[in-house]
Amino acid sequence: MLADLEIDVRERVVIARLTGEVDLSNVDQLRAAITEATPNHALALILDLSGVDYLDSSGIQLIYRLREDLRSRGQVLRLVIPSHSPAHSALRIAGVANHVETVESVEEGLSGLDDAG
Amino acid sequence: MPLENRPLDPVPAGAGQVVLTPAREEAAAPTTQVRTLYRLGDPALSELGLEEFLAELLNRVQEALQVDTVAILLLDRESNQLVARAAKGIEEEVERCVRIPIGRGFAGRIAAERVAIFIADVNHADILNPILREKGIRSLLGVPLIVEGDIIGVLHVGSLKPRTFNQRDLSVLQIAAARAAPGIERARLYSALEHEHRVAMVLQRSLLPKRLIDVVGVTAAARYLAASDEVGGDWYDVFELPRGRLGMAIGDVVGHGLTAAALMGQLRTALHAYATENHGPGKTLELVDRFLQSMPEFAMATAAYAVLDPETGHVRIASAGHLPPLVVGNGKARTLDVTPAAPLGALPYGSRREHELTLEPGETLVLYTDGLVERPQTPLNKSIEELASMLEDATTAEECCEMAMEMVPLEGLRDDVAIVALQNGSIPSELHLYPPATAKVLGELRRVLRRWLRERGADDEAIGEITLAVNEACANSIEHAYSPAPARFGLEASCENDEVTIVISDLGRWRAPRGTNRGRGLTIMEAAMDSAEVNQTDSGTEIVLRRRLHS
Repeated sequence: MLADLEIDVRERVVIARLTGEVDLSNVDQLRAAITEATPNHALALILDLSGVDYLDSSGIQLIYRLREDLRSRGQVLRLVIPSHSPAHSALRIAGVANHVETVESVEEGLSGLDDAG
Repeated sequence: MPLENRPLDPVPAGAGQVVLTPAREEAAAPTTQVRTLYRLGDPALSELGLEEFLAELLNRVQEALQVDTVAILLLDRESNQLVARAAKGIEEEVERCVRIPIGRGFAGRIAAERVAIFIADVNHADILNPILREKGIRSLLGVPLIVEGDIIGVLHVGSLKPRTFNQRDLSVLQIAAARAAPGIERARLYSALEHEHRVAMVLQRSLLPKRLIDVVGVTAAARYLAASDEVGGDWYDVFELPRGRLGMAIGDVVGHGLTAAALMGQLRTALHAYATENHGPGKTLELVDRFLQSMPEFAMATAAYAVLDPETGHVRIASAGHLPPLVVGNGKARTLDVTPAAPLGALPYGSRREHELTLEPGETLVLYTDGLVERPQTPLNKSIEELASMLEDATTAEECCEMAMEMVPLEGLRDDVAIVALQNGSIPSELHLYPPATAKVLGELRRVLRRWLRERGADDEAIGEITLAVNEACANSIEHAYSPAPARFGLEASCENDEVTIVISDLGRWRAPRGTNRGRGLTIMEAAMDSAEVNQTDSGTEIVLRRRLHS
């Protein structure tokens, strides 16, 4: 298994912690599992990629798709991608680091959502 | 009155039961039938196996006494009950698995008091077993089966017509019981051991891995030899861990036989399960120790567990009282100075220190159990040195195992032996790989590539970026693979004057990227490499990636 997914639900916020490697071989299953774990009544999804060792273009595509999926349901996506993480360098090399809003930690991701919850 | 026809001397007893004083052997005239009873003591007979031996006993007793029924009940020590084991004329006893508590009824009392009992009329006697009445038995005579002072069962005969058993009858039955009892015990012991041995062998075999891992650049080999008379609790395991790392474990449960083999199976499973949760070797052994000590009855065990990262050759290893691992390669063999912590099950709170080492390309890590090195009158460290020098010239994991087998005596192996070896093979200076065009190969390709780049002297940043670019080119080939035929694509890598050139080729045509997401692959390749060319050839598409490793 290349990657592990852990889901933690706090009130109406879903925290999905992804670890390992994300590539063409597992990206579809991961997207399905994350979507499945996010119910309609959830306010936000925090996708924690700080433990990801490898992320390729299909993983970046996953981020975009998840954001579209959530937006259509009126939900927010927060991405935990610390500045010096492998996932961040993938965003940088793909030239999208400036187009993707990220936070450094799950706590930071939760901060603005507490009021809403 | 001739001795054999004298009536039995009755001693007053429970309802309808008459306890008899033992008869003298001379009371039984040595007729042909009685002589066959004497021969029940022949040790050769008990080699028949328990079932055949009991059947023989039933026949001979029936002939000698001319009775309608004969039954043998054997003591089950765990439940302290007599269990009907063989019968003639009352086969239902065995079929229905009749069990009589010691001390109760006819047979139970014979066993408890070690006396012969005669029942003249079953209808007016205290008996527990309804089958005796159902079969219409009127009179019964029973004697205990005793071996070296221990009660092992009861032998009784019955008559459908009222019969007053006499001194001769009692004497004949006593002779049969005395001669047969040791044989029964021998045959019973033998068949129990035989059964246990068989079960343990099956268990041991079913628990050892059927197939060792198959990963580029790493090879594993192992051997397991059972001791000549008994199985033991040795095990080994090799498994893949998340992200391409490999786990290798070995262990030895103290003791032998079914119990040790069963515990071995539990420990092996527990270790594998904790290891899969990504705990390092130290923590994994700690958790296995805790698991072991949570069991109601546990034995001690030694174990060692190592995790190899094939990308770097880095190994983390921890030991719980296990023998020192060996590292073999390049014409040398050395024992690793891994301080062995206490065995599993020895201390309530054991912590397991981890040791780290790096396997150079071509080196093999070898773990083994004490059955391989324990010799009478030889200090352990001396035979471990002997093993090390024996393995010096081994060049593969398989050779390590094969050469180690020379340590094993040709016959009479007293303890079981396990050995497992994992080699960090060398990676060629140029890569020529033609994997199937499926996304499943990407993870392993990245690992092979990272290792190849590291051996070319690339730093972490270069390794990360080049891997990202090559992965994109491969993913492109996979997505555009010819269908439905099972396609392959090529990955060729070389390094000259500090510049790596990697060519990814397929038989498909380069697809113009659709949408922003699809174009990202090419962006990545261009950003990560000094140059990324996409060439259309007659046969398909070829992507050529180049980058200098040091600026």
